[in-house]
Amino acid sequence: MSKRSMTLAVAVVAALLAGLVANGAAQTQDARLEAAKKEGKVVWYTSLVLPSAEKVAKLFEAAYPGVKVEVHRTGSQRILQRVMQELQANIKNVDVVHTSDAGHFVLLKEKKLLAKYTPAGVEAFPAGFKDRDGYYYGLRATVNAITYNTKAMSAAEAPKTWKDLLDPKWKGKLVTAHPGYSGVIATHVLALVHLHGWDYFKALAENRVMIVQSANDPATVVSSGERIVAVNGGDYSAYQLKKKGNPIEIVYPREGVPLVVSPTAITSFAPHPNAARLFTDFTFTRECQQVMADSEGLYTGHPEVTYPADKPKLNELKLLTVTPEELEKRNEELKKRFVEFFGA
Amino acid sequence: MDRSLPVWIFAALSLVVLMALPLGWLGWLSVSGEHGATLAHYRDVFTDVALRKALWNTVVLAFWVGLVSVALGAPLAWLTARTDVPAPGLIRGLVLASFVTPPFLGAFAWVMLAGPNAGILNTLWRSVTGFGEPLLNIFTMPGLIFIVSIYTFPYVYIMVANTLALIASDLEEAAAILGAGRLTVARTVTLPMVLPALASGFILAVLQALALFGSPAILALPAGFHTVTTQIWSLFQFPPKVEQAAAFSIPLLLATALLLQVQKRVLGRRGYAAVGGKGGQRRTIPLGRWRWPALGACLAVMACAIFLPYGVLAKAAFARAWAQPLSRDNLTLGNFTFTFFEYGATRDAIVNTLELGVMTACIGAVMVAVLSYVTNRRLVVGHQLVAFLALAPVVVPGVVLAVGLFIAYTRPPFVLYGTLWILFLAYLTKEMPVGYAQADATFRAIPADLEDAGRVLGAGRLRILREITAPLAKSGIIAAWCFIFIGVIRELSASILLFTPSTKVMSVVIFDLKEEGQFGAISVLGLVMLGLTFATVALVQAALGRDVLGTRK
Amino acid sequence: MPGVILKSLSKRYGAVGAVDGLSLEVKPGELLALLGPSGCGKTTTLRLVAGFLAPEAGEIWVGDRCLSSPASVVPPERRRMAMIFQSYALWPHMTVAQNVAYGLRFKPGLSRGDREARVREMLRVVQLAGYEGRYPGELSGGQQQRVAVARALVVEPEILLLDEPLSNLDANLREEMRFEIRRLHETFGNTTLYVTHDQGEAMVISDRIAVLKAGKVAQAGTADDLYHRPRTRFVAEFIGRTNVLDGVAVARDTVAHGNVRLRVATADLEPGARVALSIRPHQLRLGEPGDAADGANALRGTVRRAAFLGDSVDYEITVADSDLVLRAAAAPTPRFEVGAAVGLRIEPAACVPLAESDPR
Repeated sequence: MSKRSMTLAVAVVAALLAGLVANGAAQTQDARLEAAKKEGKVVWYTSLVLPSAEKVAKLFEAAYPGVKVEVHRTGSQRILQRVMQELQANIKNVDVVHTSDAGHFVLLKEKKLLAKYTPAGVEAFPAGFKDRDGYYYGLRATVNAITYNTKAMSAAEAPKTWKDLLDPKWKGKLVTAHPGYSGVIATHVLALVHLHGWDYFKALAENRVMIVQSANDPATVVSSGERIVAVNGGDYSAYQLKKKGNPIEIVYPREGVPLVVSPTAITSFAPHPNAARLFTDFTFTRECQQVMADSEGLYTGHPEVTYPADKPKLNELKLLTVTPEELEKRNEELKKRFVEFFGA
Repeated sequence: MDRSLPVWIFAALSLVVLMALPLGWLGWLSVSGEHGATLAHYRDVFTDVALRKALWNTVVLAFWVGLVSVALGAPLAWLTARTDVPAPGLIRGLVLASFVTPPFLGAFAWVMLAGPNAGILNTLWRSVTGFGEPLLNIFTMPGLIFIVSIYTFPYVYIMVANTLALIASDLEEAAAILGAGRLTVARTVTLPMVLPALASGFILAVLQALALFGSPAILALPAGFHTVTTQIWSLFQFPPKVEQAAAFSIPLLLATALLLQVQKRVLGRRGYAAVGGKGGQRRTIPLGRWRWPALGACLAVMACAIFLPYGVLAKAAFARAWAQPLSRDNLTLGNFTFTFFEYGATRDAIVNTLELGVMTACIGAVMVAVLSYVTNRRLVVGHQLVAFLALAPVVVPGVVLAVGLFIAYTRPPFVLYGTLWILFLAYLTKEMPVGYAQADATFRAIPADLEDAGRVLGAGRLRILREITAPLAKSGIIAAWCFIFIGVIRELSASILLFTPSTKVMSVVIFDLKEEGQFGAISVLGLVMLGLTFATVALVQAALGRDVLGTRK
Repeated sequence: MPGVILKSLSKRYGAVGAVDGLSLEVKPGELLALLGPSGCGKTTTLRLVAGFLAPEAGEIWVGDRCLSSPASVVPPERRRMAMIFQSYALWPHMTVAQNVAYGLRFKPGLSRGDREARVREMLRVVQLAGYEGRYPGELSGGQQQRVAVARALVVEPEILLLDEPLSNLDANLREEMRFEIRRLHETFGNTTLYVTHDQGEAMVISDRIAVLKAGKVAQAGTADDLYHRPRTRFVAEFIGRTNVLDGVAVARDTVAHGNVRLRVATADLEPGARVALSIRPHQLRLGEPGDAADGANALRGTVRRAAFLGDSVDYEITVADSDLVLRAAAAPTPRFEVGAAVGLRIEPAACVPLAESDPR
């Protein structure tokens, strides 16, 4: 045979093989969809802010009619409490667990409560979004930032650094969320303890800070004007409020912003495992991740996602990171000392 | 008496299961350690500075709520029951509305009214006076006392008004004609006779304040202090310290039991009905030129409890941004669409609440009807014990009951946690006393003679029940149903510990939404809850022909 | 001790005139009973006198003070009166001594010792000595009533008002208390207004009786006056039992009802006018038919019914040649059986013409 016909033959065979493989993949995909439809729903415990969570759920249901998403949204710490409480009573309800406290997943993995599953396409994600052992993966990320009410002060008057917040002129004007409720805030507290020590929070408490629970609440409080500066909180909820026209602006302090990667995982006892896998895959697709970035103001690990122009990119910020293991180990201490300084 | 044995067994068993089981577990867990019985948990609880502070806060709160409730309830009762203040029916209706409003909804509404910076009243104040400092700060202990009091004073009102209704005018006229001026009469005759009711009302208000969870959670936590109930709740955060929660609950339980004992003795010993011959006509005291100012004062109190909070809830339900004025582009139905169509938990919660409400009310009404009939007609030996057990749950604060139920039903043989059944048990136990009291009053008002007359003529007991007793008791039992239903739909302090994501109820969803700061959705749900409550109240009034407060028109 | 004068008092409740132009005088030291059926306005009158109600028209004078008029009403606490209520109105949270002493503290110039002495004395008078420390709830009905009396009398009121104070007692106690109240009145001599619906009570207790009907005084006078000389049919029938004949005056001293002619003691009837006569049952003398008439009216009749009452017999007698049925009260002997023929003798003075024939 001539060289040209040899190449042609190889090309044809390769094409045939590729077609076979693709078909096979499609076959497994269809089988899984059928199984998921039979299961009917996936139960999702998530700390993603409610409108965003509902939006993701609706997108999935539109893409895969016949499989419903049951959204249960509450703070990260509450989610863990729920899961542990239900297990204690032998209730196997939840399929997918998603919180903003990476320490939880260390704990859950240790207790063998997670299923090993790698979502499709996640290989390209940065290392900070992947668990070595393949049990959990970072679905989204946000950073803690300072927010202030633009009606109450100009950009020049606003605090620029975490240390600025200790100034007595902010007495009675600050709001914080609680690490006992929110994983985002637990990360923030630990990161700032690394940065400035516990004395930082002791001094901050002297400014009589208002306490709310969820990491999304400080921005709401600030934009309503109830307090005019938030000392922490997920920047994505502040960004959403800003886009809606509320009088709020975000400051990314120069000392660094605590990065919070929010992992997701499938439980080892999931009552709807196929639906769970289908859903997890969906949430890591470019389309879903792009939606999260566009309308929710979140950061993601997906390399092909583009971000809005009016938000700093992750690589433009000085990031403060904490390891999941340390979060898990010091969780009790974080909550206890916070309560000790702030009262509740 | 063979036929009564099954009834007795049924009654005793159900009451034991409802009450003794959870409380038994509670007591046991509070002293159980890894190596047998221990007082370590009690020691932990009472040496922990934070927990001791919570205890102190609760005492302060309860005491002041009692005082303020008396200060509000007694004059209002006197004005409507004894004087010619204009529109007494309106005032009584407003007090009733305050009585059925869940305090945590009032707390929400007042956050929107008197939050120190964004609160509407403070914004108005600042724009009118130009001061920078706010007029009111609801996130304080006085703020919490205020909120709890305006929804608790109806207890004092009811006790005092009902007592005043029993005091014949003769007693005051006799003093007047002997030379006593109006104030002297009030001081020497009216006040001493009403004193037991005042003391009793004070204690009831204190008991309410001790057991509340929602208002402290909304107002105290942001201000940085705990009460016993919020502290018990936070002990359930992960990792849960259930033993400590149990140890912390027992003193609360004992305090409640003690206070109730005191209240019974105060009321029982010198309960002054009119002593003497016939009479008992009550004539009104003319207020003269104080008539309209008195009405104004009453309406001012009710503005705090009803007009302002309901108004701000309505505003927030229809507004995009609740703190901004209600302009054309601030109006939206978006909150409604979000609550009913986009937020999955709401629909389920409303369904759960209605299901639980109806189920608890139906089963509860049947139970209290049977129990109070059996007790009233003395059909079983030891009927006083049955009555005691039926009223006993009032001693247990909701959060303590929840802790007990949690411990009892998250382990074999009955694992009810995670189902609606555990909520059902909590509601049934908690609302049994109010249903029983109403059913008891119903059967008391049906003299046994009516049934005996039928029996003499040859009708059997069952037929008598069907044809004579049931029609007469119908409206009273319907009222009992309604009281239980209202109690269930607004219950929070037990639900907050016993719910799971698939068994949420409306009050829990409202609480969840608070943590997200979703005031629009909260207001919508709050209005739904109020709507359900008032519809049920209207049903009671139609059934009974008198208002829920028990004062005849 | 002043007297009370009520001048044309009126008080309406809605469209009903409870007291309608009522005029009455209570002499100083007199015990006047206000007697009448329920709804006649006696309690309203009492409460007007007490100052709990304001009149729409008329005046109330006590001595030389005008206490009530449509323009102004002196409040009860300044009228120097005392009142005993139907329910006694004892304060359950005070002892007997405290109840009785209550009014004394508004009297100036009395020391604590004085008050205690007066209380003790008054309790002795009402025969409750030693009961100072008891509570009203511990007393019987009769004892409570006496505390109420003591409380009212100890303040030496100018006017004493009583509102059916005996109606809650049982029959025996009531009889006993009637005499007790009369005795107290004779001891202390207060000007007293006594409201009752029981005519026997009124007759025993009072100096004079005012019979009320529909808010007005129908007749006021002593018991004897009212019994023997009732002015209207209503008064005649309210005080004691009576026979009322409707007839026509045929002469200045004779009234005819069908075939029956009766002579009356007075001679100022208008011939041809309609006249009603009141004849008390005990003034009908029964005897054999045909007993000689000696200036008295004589009738014949048949016994229709006879009821033996112990100390008397109640007869119903149909009068011959007439549609009249008369009731007679006679001694137990001689007894007339049912169906027996009897003769009736009625003194002319016993046939009382009713001056104002009011419609029944």
